[in-house]
Amino acid sequence: MNSTAPLNNDTSNAISAPFFVKGELLESSDSVQRSRDLGVNFATPILNLDRIVHARNEVPPLLNVPLAEIIDFLVETGQRIVAADNPFMQECIERMCTTHILPRSVVETSAKYAAAYLDKRTLIAEVAQNFPDPQALDGWVPKQDYKGRRSFVRAFAPRLIHVLPGNSPGVAVKSIAQGALVKAINLFKMSSADPFTMVAILRTMASIDPQHAIVKSMSAVYWRGGDASVERVLYRPQYFDKIVAWGGGDAITNVVKYLGPGFQLISFDPKTSISMVGKEAFVSEAVLTQVADLAAADVMTLNQEACVASRFIYLEADQADADRFCTKLHGCIAERAARSGDVRPLSMDLREQIETLMMLDDEYGVWGKPDGKGIVIRSDEPVDFHPINKTVNVVRIDQLDDAVRHINVATQTVGFYPFDRMPSYRDRLASGGAQRIVHLGEAGPSTIGNPHDAMYPLHRFVHWMAHEDGCDP
Amino acid sequence: MGKAVERLTRLVQSEARYDIPAGELQADQIAALNERLQERRDAIKVVGRRADDAGLEQVRSLEEVVPLLLPHTAYKSYPESWLAQKRWDRLSKWLDTVSTYRVPVDTVSAAAEVDDWIENLAAQGFFVSCSSGTTGKSAVLVASQADMDWCKTEAIAAYTWGSGVKPAKDRRIFGMAPVAQVPRNLATGEAYTTALQDPNYERFAYPVPPITVGSLTQMVVLRKAIADGTAKPEELARFEKMSAARQQAVNEAVGITAQAVVEARSSKLHVSGLWSGLYAVAKAVRELGYAAPDFNPENSIYVGGGLKRANLPDDYREFVYQTFNIQPQRNYQNYSMQELHSGMPRCREGSRYHVPPWVVPLILDKSGDSLLPPLRDEYEGRAAFFDLSIDGRWGGVISGDRISIDFRPCACGNKGPSIRDTIARYADLEGDDKIGCAGTVDAYVRGVA
Repeated sequence: MNSTAPLNNDTSNAISAPFFVKGELLESSDSVQRSRDLGVNFATPILNLDRIVHARNEVPPLLNVPLAEIIDFLVETGQRIVAADNPFMQECIERMCTTHILPRSVVETSAKYAAAYLDKRTLIAEVAQNFPDPQALDGWVPKQDYKGRRSFVRAFAPRLIHVLPGNSPGVAVKSIAQGALVKAINLFKMSSADPFTMVAILRTMASIDPQHAIVKSMSAVYWRGGDASVERVLYRPQYFDKIVAWGGGDAITNVVKYLGPGFQLISFDPKTSISMVGKEAFVSEAVLTQVADLAAADVMTLNQEACVASRFIYLEADQADADRFCTKLHGCIAERAARSGDVRPLSMDLREQIETLMMLDDEYGVWGKPDGKGIVIRSDEPVDFHPINKTVNVVRIDQLDDAVRHINVATQTVGFYPFDRMPSYRDRLASGGAQRIVHLGEAGPSTIGNPHDAMYPLHRFVHWMAHEDGCDP
Repeated sequence: MGKAVERLTRLVQSEARYDIPAGELQADQIAALNERLQERRDAIKVVGRRADDAGLEQVRSLEEVVPLLLPHTAYKSYPESWLAQKRWDRLSKWLDTVSTYRVPVDTVSAAAEVDDWIENLAAQGFFVSCSSGTTGKSAVLVASQADMDWCKTEAIAAYTWGSGVKPAKDRRIFGMAPVAQVPRNLATGEAYTTALQDPNYERFAYPVPPITVGSLTQMVVLRKAIADGTAKPEELARFEKMSAARQQAVNEAVGITAQAVVEARSSKLHVSGLWSGLYAVAKAVRELGYAAPDFNPENSIYVGGGLKRANLPDDYREFVYQTFNIQPQRNYQNYSMQELHSGMPRCREGSRYHVPPWVVPLILDKSGDSLLPPLRDEYEGRAAFFDLSIDGRWGGVISGDRISIDFRPCACGNKGPSIRDTIARYADLEGDDKIGCAGTVDAYVRGVA
């Protein structure tokens, strides 16, 4: 059935973006789509909805594949992803550079970084942290309560739709791994900014063993987000148990209307991350330089495209000190920006707002220009636009306590300096809605298996099934 | 005012103003743009800065004026938190960066609420209009007394040309939409009343509570409080209740207006509003048992705005015309925007919007960065205009609209540039399926909706 309406018939300059359905590659240019970020076209096959749904009367293909075997397969996948002779990944990076907003070096690095997640100890730790008894993934775990009632519990393989974001290639790898660890049937809805990575990884997996259950459990397709002709049909409990959605705004609004009993949302929300820097940063010039560099590292995570990337820095300082910090910070950001080769201009709207602040110079300090090469804005109140594309707002405060009222439910990571003041803030940050507090400069890495977006995701992915087995006399 | 600006704006009195080919106007328009730059570069901070950045001393071509065009978001570039914090001194300083005349910050800043601030400004000759900020920030546009006078003259001139109705104080005006009480609307409203309204009757007042800037910005302020997590549940509940009451007033207004228009049916009417409101009243009039034969065949209509996402049946236009007995030739449509002080009336023969000589159309690429090479025939792009008539602020703006312009003569015979009746907003054309994990608070938290 024809579900995605072709945008136009001009396929001449469209890049091919094949689908991957249960181990099979589907490539044709029946439907031309547009990548909004760069305005280039890509060609996909026509979406056949029957083929991407698994009948409920068959158990999921991975159900009885031991977790250990799945982990071994994932580890091998990770090695193949970074192998120099992997034609799928090479081709993918070529294609990505045409459609993705990030520059080539960032795309390449994030593919390598992503593959590192497919490490045996990492995957085992991930499972161990998410499940009190990982045995429940491989079989029915016997239980007995204090009244003598017996049962078996299974973390049963779910049917998942993953709505992938376009801003982080690493999410593709993580989604495959997590979907495989819970033995799910996985349908990946790719984004227009990256309709390639997921398929390239799945092809890499198929080249290891095209008949493996893990390969048969995975499909990756594209339709335009919000396309009711697809979503009204697919987003039903008869076909899927859960929808794992990255992102917010329209992406979530579209999904929410289909939710109900039996079809639940697990959302990795759009988040804003911030930094809190105490007066200890000013004990010496050397420390100040180092702290500015740590702060810049957090701002420039994935060139500020990621949710862990800092956008606001609450700085405990007077204005003169704040300005010294801003000067150094701007230097560090500009240097990182130049090194990445990322020269995307700021959007007209953002540029306009920053230029206005530059004119109100008794209220705001601005380091750099709104030219996409890195800019720092100092103010006494957070700016009311969303700092993006190498833009950071340093909010000068008299004491770090004043930053707490700016923490809210959309705050993800708080990078903190000095490290020894973190314990006295973490309760208040959690109460405000924040989800992580980290050493300044370490917004990216996290302890393996730690909660993400205030939950243990794998635990929520599975279909918890109980087999009641009577009561001891 | 420079000589070229004066020559062009004086044409508002000329019957033949839409009949001048663009080629014949170009030299005068470029001279006028240069006059505006020379007069304003030191007066309007935001313009001076742009001219400096572009290294521009003189405007000698249309290309050169492009860096001086302000995006439509320029008038929303003030920090929104100042509105919530009632920092009228800071907002006054911001206003000063976009104003031709120096805003007396100390004199106007003593104000309890935004409406008081706006009143203070008006007393000093700064007339501030705001757009509604239902989903985003309000645009804050400053204008001078000269602008208010111009708006009155221009509105009636454009109406007369576009509707073919000679103002004769022989009509009764029925506005069928709530109108924001901002200086510009009040000025044009007054002009219409003076020109058209039969003095034997009181002008019909649309029965909803007045929409002031304060009520428009209240939602903006509350949305920010929600995002910050400082809005209390009772505060939200009060707002929801007030919104419901407003909605009810709007609903009731339809019936009251229908009743009034039926009672006035033997008079010659001028009805105006947005399609959604006009349709609602027309429907109520039909339900009362009245239609075209009951109304005066010389009735006229002015429809503002687009459909604004209203859901109406396919034949909504015919339904409205046939209810109020509007003949096609007295159907006035006008293309304009908040940021301009001049309209582009639609001709009756060619159904195209005609650009007057003092408005310089600049058709840009989609991103709004550069001028498309001007063509002799029809082509499409992002609309930008320089309204040479504007005195109190800068006249050059880039809109969010995609338009199709033609420099060939129109079917109506006029030889000036005209715009096809297919205007669309880029934002509506694009849709949004971009997702990422890095988000704003607004994207995460449910706002006031």
